[in-house]
Amino acid sequence: MTHLQERLDQLKNSLADMATLVERQLSKSVCSLLEEDEDLANEVLHNERRVNAFELKIDKDCENIFALLTPVAHDMRLVFATLKMNADLERIGDYAEGVANIVVLGKKQFDQELVKKLDIKEMFEITDAMLKDVIAAYAENDSRLARSVFSRDILVNDINHKAMSIVSEYCQNNNDRIPQAINLLSIVRKIERVGDHITNIAEEIIFYKEAQVLKHGNKGGDNTADR
Amino acid sequence: MYTLETINANLFYGEKQALKDISIGIEHNTVTAFIGPSGCGKSTFLRCFNRMNDLIDNTRIEGSYLLDGIDIYGKEAEVYDLRKKVGMVFQKPNPFPKSIFENVVYGLKINGITDKNILEEKAETSLKNSALWEEVKDNLHKSALSLSGGQQQRLCIARTLAVEPTVVLMDEPASALDPISTAKIEDLIYELKTKFTIVIVTHNMQQAARVSDKTAFFYLGELVEYDETKKIFTNPEKERTQNYVTGRFG
Amino acid sequence: MTPYLTKIKSRDKAFRIVALCFTIFALSILLVLLVDIFWRGFGRLNWSFFANLPSRKPENSGILTAIAGMMSLLFFTIILALPIGILAGVYLQEYGHKSWYAKLVEINIANLAGVPSVIYGILGLQLFVRMAEMGNSLLAGAFTLALLILPIIIVSTREAIKAVPKTLREASYGMGATKWQTTRRVVIPSALGGILTGIILSISRAIGETAPLLVIGALVYVPFIPEGPNDQFTTLPIQVFNWVSRPQAGFIINAAAGIIILLLITFLLNGIAIYIRNKWYKKMRY
Repeated sequence: MTHLQERLDQLKNSLADMATLVERQLSKSVCSLLEEDEDLANEVLHNERRVNAFELKIDKDCENIFALLTPVAHDMRLVFATLKMNADLERIGDYAEGVANIVVLGKKQFDQELVKKLDIKEMFEITDAMLKDVIAAYAENDSRLARSVFSRDILVNDINHKAMSIVSEYCQNNNDRIPQAINLLSIVRKIERVGDHITNIAEEIIFYKEAQVLKHGNKGGDNTADR
Repeated sequence: MYTLETINANLFYGEKQALKDISIGIEHNTVTAFIGPSGCGKSTFLRCFNRMNDLIDNTRIEGSYLLDGIDIYGKEAEVYDLRKKVGMVFQKPNPFPKSIFENVVYGLKINGITDKNILEEKAETSLKNSALWEEVKDNLHKSALSLSGGQQQRLCIARTLAVEPTVVLMDEPASALDPISTAKIEDLIYELKTKFTIVIVTHNMQQAARVSDKTAFFYLGELVEYDETKKIFTNPEKERTQNYVTGRFG
Repeated sequence: MTPYLTKIKSRDKAFRIVALCFTIFALSILLVLLVDIFWRGFGRLNWSFFANLPSRKPENSGILTAIAGMMSLLFFTIILALPIGILAGVYLQEYGHKSWYAKLVEINIANLAGVPSVIYGILGLQLFVRMAEMGNSLLAGAFTLALLILPIIIVSTREAIKAVPKTLREASYGMGATKWQTTRRVVIPSALGGILTGIILSISRAIGETAPLLVIGALVYVPFIPEGPNDQFTTLPIQVFNWVSRPQAGFIINAAAGIIILLLITFLLNGIAIYIRNKWYKKMRY
């Protein structure tokens, strides 16, 4: 095995490990809300530094590979995509931390009825499945699997869309619970952003595999790689 | 302790000073690259380590050159012994016009080893170490000159490895080869570093970046910067180094 | 097509034609000689020609003693000249060639190679025949011829060694070999083809020498085969020389036949030299 191949394999493994960590963070943070488990939320806060450490390491690894090994063609696209995915994963980690923060500060005062109305559980389940799928797609270089997240993100966006009116109505009927309602709205927004970052990751995987750029409304079709 | 070390090394060709006050320490089982523009002295410096400069008239050296702590130019130093411990691979492949086998065991034979079994065993080991065994194992008695350029260079590497040196010096070993052979040689160097200490002179910076752990940048006979290769190619200390590695001169 | 272009094109053609003419002219003279010789002498070539001793009657004359003498002479010459010539060549090129005395020797050897062979004969006469008291024996002849071909062997050895690339020596030194090990194991084997070529060419030269041998007293009429180094001898060129100066027509034919044999030997030796040189070049592939 060549030096370059070794380093690329190590890089992929690092990113895969980081992605798995981030998925667990997301999982734990939303579960801490749904199950009203403050300890779980604290765990997420505690682990955030690991996510950050991963980000720094992968950034450095990509920098070194570019400078020292000058990869070209699909090797170059792999490192390029990994660098960008690194940033997206770190943001997802941040959102998970944000959710956990809200849970800890909220101190079990969330109205589970509202949580149900907002479909937070369903939103989370879809997003979690999407994240697991892109992790698998990256590991197996499967651009088809990566593509499968785009349609699901539409569902996530829908839930987010409806949330505003649900929360408005709730606030009108429950004056004393406005802060926690707004917090829940905030959580919905965060999960929606997570969905967006996952679709970014999917686009990066497709760029790596097919040299196709799907950014900014160009989803599928016959364009050539031209960054 | 460093495997190779120089302290205030200087070298003169007659009146002209080719190396100016070079102090460097090279660690065991590392690959060190010497880079720099043409005429900067990197090859001259490399050849000090196995005293090949002795073969050129009118050269004078000053300063200390140490192998495992012992001065190689000292009164008790034995040149022939030194060259067995410090092997060299040259720029243009130079196999002897003999068979492949005879080439590989040349170094052993001049050391007085004549036992056929030992010779065959060591030949196989070093040909395997230089990733050439599979290609030549059925043709060991064919002329070495019938091999391609890349194969010849790997044969020269095998020849050098057969005497089991501590250090292997390589003077632009791939510059006369095509890209595929070059890649094979680079992979080889990467594998060999677990068993040998390697110093490679190259004018190809990307090659230095790919294969070495540490890099030394030379300019006009001086050592400008010597550091981890990662550092030299991502954030060198000296501006001159940065200008060279980014291709702005030289 | 400009006038200038026409002019230079026709000059080019003209030169080619002129060169071709001269070549044909030179070759045809050679061809005429060869045809003449073969026509005269070919019929004489039979077993008795080879097996007979010289005699007064042309029909009975053979070249046996001449061939025997020539072979014995060559044998001793080679034993004397080869080791000295090769070792001297190796020394001068590998070891000594930068010192002032080596340069002096170098100039002188080059001169010696051009000295007319008769001079060697005179030298041999005084030194070997008279002072060393060898008489006009095979030994004296061998020493004289050895002196004659020595410069050729030395020069061709030096050229062959010079042609061995520096990189091969570097490779050997790089592995800790001494100068002698390098010379013995790398330089001389690599130069061998060139050295051999030089040897064969010098033999070829030696075979054809007549004048120096006559001077030292090689006999012209030798009706016996030499048995030892101290015996008198003759060679084929001398035998031919002898026959040519006889009036009988039969001897002219014999001479022609003898020349054919000489030519064949020369071509054979040169052919071997060329063959070895080609094989050597292929092996070296510098």
